[in-house]
Amino acid sequence: MRVLIVDDEAPARDRLKRHLEDLSDYQVLGEAENGKQALDVCNTDRPDIVLLDIRMPGLDGIETARYLSELDNPPAVIFTTAYNEYAIDAFDAQAIGYLMKPIRRSRLERALQHAARLSSPQLKAITETEPRRPRDHVCAKVRNQLQLIPLDEIYYFQSDQKYTRVKFSEGEVLIDDSLKALEQEFQERVLRVHRNTLVLRHELLALDKGQDGSYYARLRNSSDELSVSRRLVSSLRKAIKRG
Amino acid sequence: MATPKPKSNNQFYLPDLCAPRMVLVIVLVAELIALVHTLSRHSVAQDFWIDLAKSSLFLLWSALGGAWLLCNLRGWLAKRSVRDGTLLSLLLILLTVTVVSEAAVWLGQYTGDTDLFPTNHLDFLLRNLSIGLIVGVLLLRYFYVSHEWERNVRMEAQSRIQALQARIRPHFLFNSLNTIASLIRSNPETAEEAVEDMSDLFRANLREQRDRISVKEELEVARIYQRIEQLRLGDRLKVMWDVNDIPMRAKIPSLTIQPLLENAIYHGIEPLSEGGTVTITGKMVNDDISIRVVNPIPNATDYTRHKGNQMAMDNIRQRMNIAYGERAKVTVEHTDSEYSVAILFPREGDQ
Repeated sequence: MRVLIVDDEAPARDRLKRHLEDLSDYQVLGEAENGKQALDVCNTDRPDIVLLDIRMPGLDGIETARYLSELDNPPAVIFTTAYNEYAIDAFDAQAIGYLMKPIRRSRLERALQHAARLSSPQLKAITETEPRRPRDHVCAKVRNQLQLIPLDEIYYFQSDQKYTRVKFSEGEVLIDDSLKALEQEFQERVLRVHRNTLVLRHELLALDKGQDGSYYARLRNSSDELSVSRRLVSSLRKAIKRG
Repeated sequence: MATPKPKSNNQFYLPDLCAPRMVLVIVLVAELIALVHTLSRHSVAQDFWIDLAKSSLFLLWSALGGAWLLCNLRGWLAKRSVRDGTLLSLLLILLTVTVVSEAAVWLGQYTGDTDLFPTNHLDFLLRNLSIGLIVGVLLLRYFYVSHEWERNVRMEAQSRIQALQARIRPHFLFNSLNTIASLIRSNPETAEEAVEDMSDLFRANLREQRDRISVKEELEVARIYQRIEQLRLGDRLKVMWDVNDIPMRAKIPSLTIQPLLENAIYHGIEPLSEGGTVTITGKMVNDDISIRVVNPIPNATDYTRHKGNQMAMDNIRQRMNIAYGERAKVTVEHTDSEYSVAILFPREGDQ
C-alpha cells in the first residue's frame, strides 16, 4: 500500500514516516506540506491512502479530502489532528479514520488496516459541522486530475445545464458547484449579472447598451458577450461606481 | 425555609432516596425521632417501651412511605422549578403522614385496641401533620444546602481547569508533545532541550497570576516559547527582537509578553504557508514602558473576528487592568496585512 503523508510540520511528517518504515506492508509514496501539494501528488502518483493533517495553512485537510473524493478512484483518507477542536469527534472514529497526535504506531497500523474511502454523506456531514471560511479558489476535475483555480484568475461563472462553467485566465473548465452556492460562498467577491451568470467583482468594468436596447457586461480580461438582466442594471451600476 | 431561585438546567437537589444507603439513613433517622419523641413524654418507666414501639411503627411507615413516594416521583419533580419541586415534595410528605395517620386510626377502630392505636382522631392527625411539616422543611433544607455545596465544589474545580486551559492552548500542548516524540529518535539532544523548555514554560504558567516578575524573566519565558514553536514551524517562523531600550529589572505581570507572541504565531504565522516575521519592539515612552508585537495576517476581517484571538486579548487587557488600573493601556491596530498589539504600563520596581 502506498501512503502519502500530508502535514505542514516537518517533525510530524518525520514521525509518521518512521512509523511507516517500521510497518512492512506500507511504503511512503511522498510527503506534502499542504493541501495544494497533496492534490498535486495525487494527480501524478495515485496513493492508496492519504494521511491528512486537518489544520494546515491554505488548503486545509477537510477541504483537501472533499476534493480528493471527487477523483474517479479516490484514495482512502485518514485525518490526523493534534487537538480535537473539530467536530469530527462526533463521528465514528472507525468509520472516518482519524488519529490524535502524537500518534501511536499500533493505532496508526489499525487505522491503515481499516482505511476506507470517505462516503459522500460522511463528507457532507464533516463539512457542515465545520465553520467554513470562504475559499480563495475553486476546484475542477479535468480528465481525472484536480485543478485549483484561484479566484483572482477567474472572470465569470456561468451555469451550463448540470454544471457550472468557469471562465478564467487559462481557459474554461466545468465544476459541480451550483451558481447559487457559489454566489452565497463568494458573496463579497461576485456580482450576479444574469439568471445564469456570476461575474467576479474585480472583472466588471462597465455595462454597455446594445443596439437592440439590451445590456451587456464589459469585462477587464474577457471579450465574451455577457447578457445583463434588465432588473439588475441599476444595482450593478451602483456596484461599479463604488468600485 | 429560604426560597431558592428556580434553576432549570440543574438536576433536582433531592438525592436518590431508594439507594440502599439512603434507606438505612432514613430508618435510623426515623428511629432517632421516635426516641426523642418518646423520651420527651415519659420517664423510663413501664410505658416507655410500648410508646417507643408505637412511635417507631408510625414513623417508619411514614418515613419509608414518604421516601418511596419521593423516590418514584423524583424524575417528575426534577422537571419543576426548585420552588415548585420543594412545595410538591412537602405536600407529598404531608400526604404520606395523613395516609399513615388515617390508617392508624382506622386500624384502632377496626381492632378495638385502644392501647396500641390512637383514640383522638383529629388531634392525632393535626399533631402529626405539624411534626411532618417541620421535619419535612428541615430535611428538604438540608438536602438543598448539601446539594448546593457539592455543586459549588464541582464548579470551582471546573473553572480552575478552564482557567488553566485559557493559559495553555491544548493545540500547542499536543503539537509540542508530537514534535518531541519525533525528535527523540532523530535528534535526542534537541528533544531533551525541548522537554526542559516545556517544563520552564509550564512552571511559568502555573505561577500565581498576580505575581509580578522582572521584564527580563518575562522575555526569557517568551524566548523559551519561541524555541519550542521554532522546532515545529522551522523556517516559517521568524521573530525579530528589539527590546534593548527597556529596563530589564522593571516589574511586569507574569505572562504578558508570551501570550502576545503566542497569539501572533497561532493566528498570524501558522495560517500562512510561507510563514512570516513577528516583530517585538520595546521602548520607553516618557516614564512608561511600551511593548509592541506585530505580525502578518492572512485575512484581516477573519483575523479580528476570530474568537480565540478575542479571548486572548480580553485576558491580557484584564490582567493589565488588575495590575495597573487606568495607568496601563492595551491598543490593537491592524491594516490589511498586519496586526499590531501594544501594551503600555508604568515603569515600576527597578529604581
